[in-house]
Amino acid sequence: MTRQYDNTLPIQVEDLTVAYREEPVLWDVDVQIPASTLTAIVGPNGAGKSTLIKAILGLIEPSAGQILIYGKPYSEQRQQVAYVPQRGSVDWDFPTNALDVVLMGRYGRLGWLRRPGGKDRQLALDALDKVGMSAFANRQISQLSGGQQQRVFLARALVQDAQIYLMDEPFQGVDATTERAIVEVLKALKAAGRTVVVVHHDLETVPEYFDRVLLLNVRLLASGPVAQVFTPENLKKTYGSRNETVLHGIDGGSPSANGAKEANHGRVADAQPDLH
Amino acid sequence: MVSKVCMTLLLAVALFAGGLPVVNAQEAPAACESVVIHAIATVGMVADVVRNVGGSCVEVTAMMGPGVDPHLYRASEGDVLRLLNADIIFYSGLHLEARLAELFEEMTSVKTTVPVANAIPEENRLRDPNFDQIDPHVWMDAELWSYTAGSTRDALTTYDPAHAAYYSANADAYLEQLEELDAYIHEQIERIPEEQRVLVTAHDAFQYFGQGYGVEVFAPQGITTATEAGVNDIRRTIELLVSRNIPAVFVESSVPPDILEAIVAGAEAQGQEISIGGQLFSDAMGEDGTPEGTYIGMIRHNVDTIVAALTGEAAVTPEAGA
Amino acid sequence: MDVLQTLSLIFTDYTLRNVALGAAILGIVSGALSTFAVLRKQSLLGDAVSHAALPGVVLAFILTGLKTPLVLMVGAVIAGWIGVTLVSLIVRETRVKYDSALGIVLAVFFGLGMVLLTWLQGQNNAGQSGLDHFLFGRAAAIVQSDVITMAALGGVVLLVTALFWKEFKILSFDGQYAATLGFPVRWIDTLLTTLIVVAVVLGLQMVGVVLMSAMIVAPAAAARQWTDRLSLMLILSSTFGALAGVGGAVISSLTSGLPTGPTIVLCISAIVIVSLLFAPNRGIVWGGLRGRRNRRELQQAMLLEKLYDASTRNNGQSQPVESLRFILSGGRLEDALGVLAGQGLIAPETGDRWALTPTGIEAARSLQAPGGIRSSTLFSNPKEAAL
Repeated sequence: MTRQYDNTLPIQVEDLTVAYREEPVLWDVDVQIPASTLTAIVGPNGAGKSTLIKAILGLIEPSAGQILIYGKPYSEQRQQVAYVPQRGSVDWDFPTNALDVVLMGRYGRLGWLRRPGGKDRQLALDALDKVGMSAFANRQISQLSGGQQQRVFLARALVQDAQIYLMDEPFQGVDATTERAIVEVLKALKAAGRTVVVVHHDLETVPEYFDRVLLLNVRLLASGPVAQVFTPENLKKTYGSRNETVLHGIDGGSPSANGAKEANHGRVADAQPDLH
Repeated sequence: MVSKVCMTLLLAVALFAGGLPVVNAQEAPAACESVVIHAIATVGMVADVVRNVGGSCVEVTAMMGPGVDPHLYRASEGDVLRLLNADIIFYSGLHLEARLAELFEEMTSVKTTVPVANAIPEENRLRDPNFDQIDPHVWMDAELWSYTAGSTRDALTTYDPAHAAYYSANADAYLEQLEELDAYIHEQIERIPEEQRVLVTAHDAFQYFGQGYGVEVFAPQGITTATEAGVNDIRRTIELLVSRNIPAVFVESSVPPDILEAIVAGAEAQGQEISIGGQLFSDAMGEDGTPEGTYIGMIRHNVDTIVAALTGEAAVTPEAGA
Repeated sequence: MDVLQTLSLIFTDYTLRNVALGAAILGIVSGALSTFAVLRKQSLLGDAVSHAALPGVVLAFILTGLKTPLVLMVGAVIAGWIGVTLVSLIVRETRVKYDSALGIVLAVFFGLGMVLLTWLQGQNNAGQSGLDHFLFGRAAAIVQSDVITMAALGGVVLLVTALFWKEFKILSFDGQYAATLGFPVRWIDTLLTTLIVVAVVLGLQMVGVVLMSAMIVAPAAAARQWTDRLSLMLILSSTFGALAGVGGAVISSLTSGLPTGPTIVLCISAIVIVSLLFAPNRGIVWGGLRGRRNRRELQQAMLLEKLYDASTRNNGQSQPVESLRFILSGGRLEDALGVLAGQGLIAPETGDRWALTPTGIEAARSLQAPGGIRSSTLFSNPKEAAL
């Protein structure tokens, strides 16, 4: 592997290995994410998709390897990266409203002891507007639907005005309105030259929403533009052969595709239980 | 007062009668060359009686040392072993050792257990004004405490009849000392002006003292240290001190002084100067080897301290024989 | 002594004033920290800290020979802090879960404390009495210097909480996200935990080891019932704590035989029970009433719709009551019809029959339109009805 530090490359991951106790969750992963792209990370449950994102963010200590953001370690580049965690990672019964949550995205710029001010509030309101949640600014977050909560998380990341956005399953369990809103935001971000990496669960929509894809199952099996990389062979390598019918369907080819689509809309049937 | 005279007369007769065979025999009863009985006692006061009556025949240790609160004391594993290894277990009874009651009940089937204070007649026992319990602090009245000499002597004699005469002689001698002590206390208390004969302590250990020697006693905490003194109790105490112009309150060796300190602070806030008159021994004696480490020494210390503080003069006492 | 007289005594009487002040400080400080403990699901942390403090108190006395409150509190803080650190270590390094780790540390430390106390009582040390009163507190023995100490420490705790408000907030809501923003989450967590330890120790001499945990859980649990804003929740929590403190002090001073510490805890418990039952929105009573109302509204809407369907099938004719009996049994049918009539949606006709009014027809139609349930005015809370 080359050891150049390319400071125009948003994300460069080299030899990344992460293990929980003795079991490897990520093994020798090398990834390069170019700027101004929408990349999906797909793979079966337990494949290490969330782990990869968290390792990039410094939330998990890797056993080996390094991660560079524009050629420098993440710890020096925090301002450039924004995180949208899984919706289930917090307790939504917390006493606060949507605007307040979005405001938290500004905390990173405030430093110790300072409180958010009028300018921060306005930025937060703008971010809420971008996700279509202006009307809900003062709504208690416990009273929001799942999709609305997801959009609040997205707005919180937007308000950071970062160059890179890392999102963990933002489309999981959201309603159609929310899905459309999120896709709009993603496309706008790409148009603005930002880099977006999304852990995605719905193979069906990968070609529609993303231009690059990472196929991950502990190892990195393939990575690159969707058209080149998102093939049945690669999917078979990632998911295993028992899901062949579905995989054919995703490719859009054989007659079994439609039946498979209906039966497995949006989800690759997998023996393992949900969510890691 | 009448019953006191009768009691003293009776004692004198008993002493005389008991002492007659000794006088006639013209020789002291045989002491022991080595220890015959290994005894264990709970509080120091009980151990002291056993020591005096048992003499060289008995070796006694006290489970609870100075500063230990017998109302709250819990037996440890080591204590249980020591109890089992002893020949006789002496304890006060009347619920003083509240947390050991069950233990002693179980021990009775395998050991000789002697509640020495049970010898005190029912009509002399005082009750706790707040709860329906007997007040166990009987040793505060030297006259009443004398009964324990008798019950100790009887228990030792039953266990070791060979030295009956020896125990009897010891008991008589001790009773004489207790009588002296009783007289001394009466004498000293007379020196306190009547209105100031008020004893305020943390917990209510001195009812018998008050009853026996004509002193009013008052305590915010009630009879047992297991209950907490409340704000109301403290305020009533302060009221009493201020209205009766009492100069001193007394802390105890086995009870934390913070309640009394709060009372003193509260009284001072009302303009009344109150001093802590000294430390009294209530539920435990002083350190071993000091005069206060014996029953008689402890009581004398208490009396001297109380009288000195409430009269404002030092006590005038001849050297006390322990 | 009547209550009003007693209340005025809070200001004039030295003893009651100090006890009430001390209790109020305790209530405010523990109430404030309680907010974060409860929100972070660390409610039992207070319990663990207070029990873990016992050996610290005893050891402080053994090592220094002093029984001054400050010395004992320092011992308590150190022991409590060690206990909490151990809990984190256990959770991090083993598979043992948080609540089990809390239980282990709590039991081990408290047991150690009891062993030390028992050993101490066997020593012939005349000064050792009174340490076991840390178990239930000696609230009535509070003097002015104690209050000053509590006020100073409590003030520092509150000040730090105010300074780090946003850090504590984001840590409590989404610690992981906070880490990505660059906040040193471990340090903030340690700081917050330390504040909780100090708050617990402050209250130990008043309420005691066994009951202090109540003051770290109850005030916030009660406050949460009444508000959805974090800042208000903290203020309310502190207020409840202070009320319980002063209330407990006053009530226990009205008569002999009421220990102050436990009375304070009883007061905060009463506040919690009332909050759990009667708070609007989150209260049980409220929820029950609302549930009943929602059910009734649902049944009324269904009734309207069935009536509409039936009359549509019969060319707009009115319907006999009996034909609707299958929807609602007993007198509830009549009640529901009465409500619908009162809303002007249906009207009675002779022979015990019912027909829809024009308004009623419109309401039924919009109910049946797509998304109609959500937007219908028949429901006070459409979202709940749709769920």
